Amino acid sequence: MNTISVDSITKKFGEIHAVDKVSFEVSPGEIFGLLGPNGAGKTTSIRIILDIFKPDSGTVSVLGGPMTEEKKNKIGYLPEERGLYQEIPLERCLVYLATLKGLEETDARQRVGEYLERFELDQWRKKKVKELSKGMQQKAQLITTLVHRPEIVIIDEPFSALDPVNTQMVKDLLCEERDRGTTIIMCTHQMHQVEELADRIALINKGQTVLYGSLDEIRRRYVADAVIVRALQDLPASLPGVREIIKQNNHAMLKFEPGKTAQDVLQMLVQKNISIEQFEIALPTLDEIFIQVVQGKGDGR
Amino acid sequence: MKKFWLIFANEYKRHVLKKSFIFGLLSMPLFLVLIIGVSMLSVWLQFNDAPMGYVDNNHLLTDAVQVPEKKSKLFAVAQAVPFEDEASAKTALENGSIQTYFILADDYLSTGKVTMVKNSKTGTNASSDFGDFLVYNLVSDLPDQTALRLSEGNNLIVRSLEGTRETGADNWMAIILPVLAGVLFMIAVNISGNYLLQAVVEEKENRTMEILVTSVSPTQLMAGKVVGNMLVGLTQLVVWVVFAVIAIKVAPSFIPDLQIPPIETSYLLLMVATLVPSFVMVAAAMGAIGATATESREAQQIAGWFTIPIMVPLWFISAIMLKPNGALSVGMSLFPLTAPIALPLRAVFTDIPAWQIIMTLGLLSVLAVFSVWLSGRVFRLGMLRYGKRVRLSEAFRRAK
Repeated sequence: MNTISVDSITKKFGEIHAVDKVSFEVSPGEIFGLLGPNGAGKTTSIRIILDIFKPDSGTVSVLGGPMTEEKKNKIGYLPEERGLYQEIPLERCLVYLATLKGLEETDARQRVGEYLERFELDQWRKKKVKELSKGMQQKAQLITTLVHRPEIVIIDEPFSALDPVNTQMVKDLLCEERDRGTTIIMCTHQMHQVEELADRIALINKGQTVLYGSLDEIRRRYVADAVIVRALQDLPASLPGVREIIKQNNHAMLKFEPGKTAQDVLQMLVQKNISIEQFEIALPTLDEIFIQVVQGKGDGR
Repeated sequence: MKKFWLIFANEYKRHVLKKSFIFGLLSMPLFLVLIIGVSMLSVWLQFNDAPMGYVDNNHLLTDAVQVPEKKSKLFAVAQAVPFEDEASAKTALENGSIQTYFILADDYLSTGKVTMVKNSKTGTNASSDFGDFLVYNLVSDLPDQTALRLSEGNNLIVRSLEGTRETGADNWMAIILPVLAGVLFMIAVNISGNYLLQAVVEEKENRTMEILVTSVSPTQLMAGKVVGNMLVGLTQLVVWVVFAVIAIKVAPSFIPDLQIPPIETSYLLLMVATLVPSFVMVAAAMGAIGATATESREAQQIAGWFTIPIMVPLWFISAIMLKPNGALSVGMSLFPLTAPIALPLRAVFTDIPAWQIIMTLGLLSVLAVFSVWLSGRVFRLGMLRYGKRVRLSEAFRRAK
């Protein structure tokens, strides 16, 4: 059974189609990337899943059925628009939000204490939230998302406002959650972050799903007819069966002529006695696929 | 339901435990005590209980006796001392053994003319104390009851034409109470409403709302907020009323002259029956305004316009007193926003027909329920709108 099933949801705001027949499924224990440029409809889709908005049509199933008040306690949500009560002490704020997720106050207090220590925020626990830096508040929000040990974690732009050290910490935390069996939906436009973490993705553009599947499968689908070669000597200006050589720092990308394969190119290089240190299929980055698809050069699958 | 109590307790505690709230709670009674204290101090500073002299050439006050001290008097009565002539009285005034002296004119009985000679040390109580002394001795030969009636005056009872209502002319409490209750109501409802308004707008402004609505249903969230913040206002109101009751009970032992007239229970019930639904109605409406607005300053401005009508009956208080059954008075006591103050105020001066009371209370109750419903609707629509207001028409259109 899928943890989340989104089936052809549509939502209009006035005349604008924020989400138009979007469908995807999220399996238990995976990190799922919900990607798309700004304004694509990612956040609206998330809000429909969370029952903040009702869809105009289509259905959403969470943990085997429609959203209920009980199921809300099994979800941890970090919205894109971060926010905490600014005028109250950090610990009180986190304990209150944890009790709203169904924890008893004593448990909430204990778990919040553990997380504050882990996130090196324990000396700030009595300080008002407004006295914390943006990064600290971001970490405090993560505590709110995870403190009740949810079965599903939905994070909208998880790495915004984080420095490299804290970005790595969040990545480790998400992997740890996945290992614990938590299903994670990561909603972002930062493709390189998704590449490292996500098992599968859905790419939304202008309210519609334009790409959906496992990350490996999608990258292979968009593979260019090219190889990356690092040779010990300079490559000749032209090579048989190669229509273009693009030199990059210490390697070169060789684009094949139509009908040629990587095997043909490798044989040709060996025949020409070119000493090779590296030879690999040039897989496109998610950024490149993203740009291709968003600019309308994708296959729309 | 548990989450409702969590929201409720959080809303209540976050205001009630604030220093500013406790300061506000105590400042009103302390301010009143201060004002009363300063007034009494000012009276005391101008009071002088040193003896007063008098010159009575007509011998009207032969064998005069001092006015007996009443237990109910806060300050002692200045004693009156006779002098043979004005010269000796003047000497006594100059050497400070008396604070003032009075000379009864030769034709006093026909003209009532008395000359008072005073200096800077003469107390403000001297003339009234001497007046009491004069009346007390002039009527001393009459039967006791007659003498008492002449010195105390009439006890006027004002009765309505139908004969169903009457009040003592000195029952100032009946007039003060609705005005006082109205002002306290305004303050309490503003406190509750503003807290509610702030609570909703603040969570939109600081973006906590999105986390909250994924933890608790909008209905529970709004209900917890409305009840929690209403209770904050009611706490304030109850504490002030308790202070007032204590003051009413305790004041006569400090201020014996103060006579606090009794208030009819039916009148108090009418006031409570009017104020409770009004309170819910206004507080919930303020919550709805908070949900429609995009920032707290805007919400405050809208709420300001909304609360003005509640005060309107106080502007027309003289019209209500003079014509309690006039069209203006009746209209204001029926209109839900002016009724909280206008209805109890009218009840002091006239017998309000039962149908009018039932209609007003019915309207207020229906509107109270409607306000809570509407605020829930608007809240659901407006909770995640940043920068765009929810129109009321939209709330009704989407009421499904």
